[in-house]
Amino acid sequence: MTTANSRIDGIDASWPARLHSLWLAAQDVENVEEMARHVYAAMLAEDDVLAVTGSRWEGDRLRYLRVATTARSTTTTTTGAGTAAGRPVPPPEPGRAAARPLVHHHDLDAGTEGFAPEGRALAEAGAHFALESRFRLGENDWASYSVGLAERPRDAAVLTAMTARLVQLSEVLVASNRRIVEAREHERRLIEDAFLAEASLQMDASLDVQETLSRVARLAVPAVAEGCAVHLFADLGGLAPVASAHVAADVQPWLADLARDDPWFADLVDRAVRSGECVVLSGEELDGAPFGPHTDGPGQPVNAVSVSPLRARGKALGTLTFIYHRGEDAVAGTRLLDNLARRAALAIDTTTAYEQRRRHVEQLQRHLLPNALPVWPSADLYAAYEVADDSLEVGGDFYDAVVDRDGRLAVVIGDVCGRGAEAAALTGLARHTLRTLLEDGVLPELALQRLNTILLDQGTTRFVTALVAVLTPDGGGACLARVAAAGHPSPLVRRKDGLVEEVRVTGLFLGVLPDTDLQPTSLRLEAGDSLVMFTDGLTEARSASGVFFEDHLPEAVRDCVVEEPETAAGLVARMSAFRATGSDDTAVLVAHVKGTAG
Amino acid sequence: MTTERGRRIDLGSVLVVEDNLEDAEAIERALRHTHPELRPEFTTRGDGLLEMLLAREALPGLVLLDLNMPGPDGHEVLAELRSRPELDDVTVVVFTSSTSPAEVDACYAAGADSYVYKPVNFTLFRTVLKGAIDYWQASRGAASHAPPVPRQQSSEA
Repeated sequence: MTTANSRIDGIDASWPARLHSLWLAAQDVENVEEMARHVYAAMLAEDDVLAVTGSRWEGDRLRYLRVATTARSTTTTTTGAGTAAGRPVPPPEPGRAAARPLVHHHDLDAGTEGFAPEGRALAEAGAHFALESRFRLGENDWASYSVGLAERPRDAAVLTAMTARLVQLSEVLVASNRRIVEAREHERRLIEDAFLAEASLQMDASLDVQETLSRVARLAVPAVAEGCAVHLFADLGGLAPVASAHVAADVQPWLADLARDDPWFADLVDRAVRSGECVVLSGEELDGAPFGPHTDGPGQPVNAVSVSPLRARGKALGTLTFIYHRGEDAVAGTRLLDNLARRAALAIDTTTAYEQRRRHVEQLQRHLLPNALPVWPSADLYAAYEVADDSLEVGGDFYDAVVDRDGRLAVVIGDVCGRGAEAAALTGLARHTLRTLLEDGVLPELALQRLNTILLDQGTTRFVTALVAVLTPDGGGACLARVAAAGHPSPLVRRKDGLVEEVRVTGLFLGVLPDTDLQPTSLRLEAGDSLVMFTDGLTEARSASGVFFEDHLPEAVRDCVVEEPETAAGLVARMSAFRATGSDDTAVLVAHVKGTAG
Repeated sequence: MTTERGRRIDLGSVLVVEDNLEDAEAIERALRHTHPELRPEFTTRGDGLLEMLLAREALPGLVLLDLNMPGPDGHEVLAELRSRPELDDVTVVVFTSSTSPAEVDACYAAGADSYVYKPVNFTLFRTVLKGAIDYWQASRGAASHAPPVPRQQSSEA
């Protein structure tokens, strides 16, 4: 008895120190295997312990068995078949996945039923008696930690002490496992968040859908999976691949072909779209797939596939597919997949909406300007239009030219204040109203006055400036011009010899007051003279030093307005080169008298 | 593992061609964590690389190649490496900070085995590097147990 007591005391003296060092190790280790080695060593150091085993289970399925013996310092790990049928596991404690370990005693000479495969391994190491601690690590995840002894301790106190130690070591393993799982989960979240942040940056890098998706697919391999394919609904309704990427250059074309042509793949992406939820397939679920574990595609075997539907504003846009060569358990979580799919769908939606809007603006802008200027025997017409920036709003500048029923040429230039849909609507109204009246031979000032009345009737808050000139050939090669302007910059005349004169013409802008006080003027344009009309975008462009282009305009008109097709465009280009600030739209219309008797 | 031409491939050796010292340090740190068994070797320039490799008895299993470098850039180095059939069994992974589709296409057409985006975040950086290396280790490991498949020469394609 004394001997036994002193022996227990002797172990006790070193046990707290050993246990303490194990708890310290539990704070540092990076995986369970490393922790297990420390714990096995602690028990193997005990007298009479011949071998220790650790097994990890998923429900009734054995995930691995590790065995360490005093004879061999290394642990051997086996994975594979084994069943724990009928082996009771401590139930989870309320509110916790883990539970206090339960210790069982096994007499190995009586057989190892209910203790396989550890019993046999311990018996092979010469053990006849075993203590087994079973403990729960997660919902369906449990482990068993056992020690094999040469014989059942004859002293009950020794048995009790060993049982207590086994429980203590199991608790170290439970705590260590929890910390490792939490640290991994934390790291996984960090990686996911970093990935999502970088993906968002890539999505902002371009307003082209195809390029954006190619960039996202590239970013995702191998961060999320080894392969990635994106399908979008094509104009004709079906899903078509728009981007694919694979970490291996020689596998990428194969993946792109499958994404385009394979019926199994097509069914799978359809299924994800219909269900509206992420579909993940692995193992036997990949039977029949072109990239299951049993097919001979290039590259490594595919262990899993995930397909996330892409949806924005309640509309299905397509799918995002990942191909995993890595283990099934490395399939990205739904948090990442759903989040990425949501961001990608929004980026696609935004980009598509942008492209559509830009197309609409371009179409609208085209309709607000004449398709072609009329050919008129006595004068050539040149026009140019510059949109100030790549704004998505329709500008309000307009110009037009029409030959009236008596053969006179009427030219129009104008500017509706502001941009956007209302400005565009008023621009259309103003241009077509003036055109209709001028075709009928109405005088410039009367046409402008009529437009003023119509604008006032519309009750718009926007004002319009406009200038109309009607050119009548005098029969000798020159033209008589009658010019009326409503709040519009005065036109310039460039005489044949290069002299530039301003045509002073005044009147209030349209759409504000009933009386516009228009003061029309008349002038004579000789052969070789040009009438140069423009909107305020031309005059109000400013250089870096604050000088308006207006100050340089006579000189620019003298130099640029010559008889050639690029006349108006040349003037606008000169202004653009000069401009440092100011970004209004600019329209220029030039009528050059040819001198042909008409 | 030995190539058809008898030159030994050392799968544990990785040659990192990276002129940015911070990136090189990050690669070193990442590999030490995820693949402590690998022996990375660093060089900051692409010139002389081909001669250096050809003079060796054992070739590195993998070359990690940056694209933007002074002197010959990554594209030039890649073209040079792939012009030599002796280096066919060396896996070349382009590791760069661009996701431009044109850049990817150019590298794949020039014979890169992988094109991997270099993320800003270190944890993600480590993850993608691990993903690429794991893939090629598994791939080369499987290949060394199977009869060798002749590699398509880009010049013949």
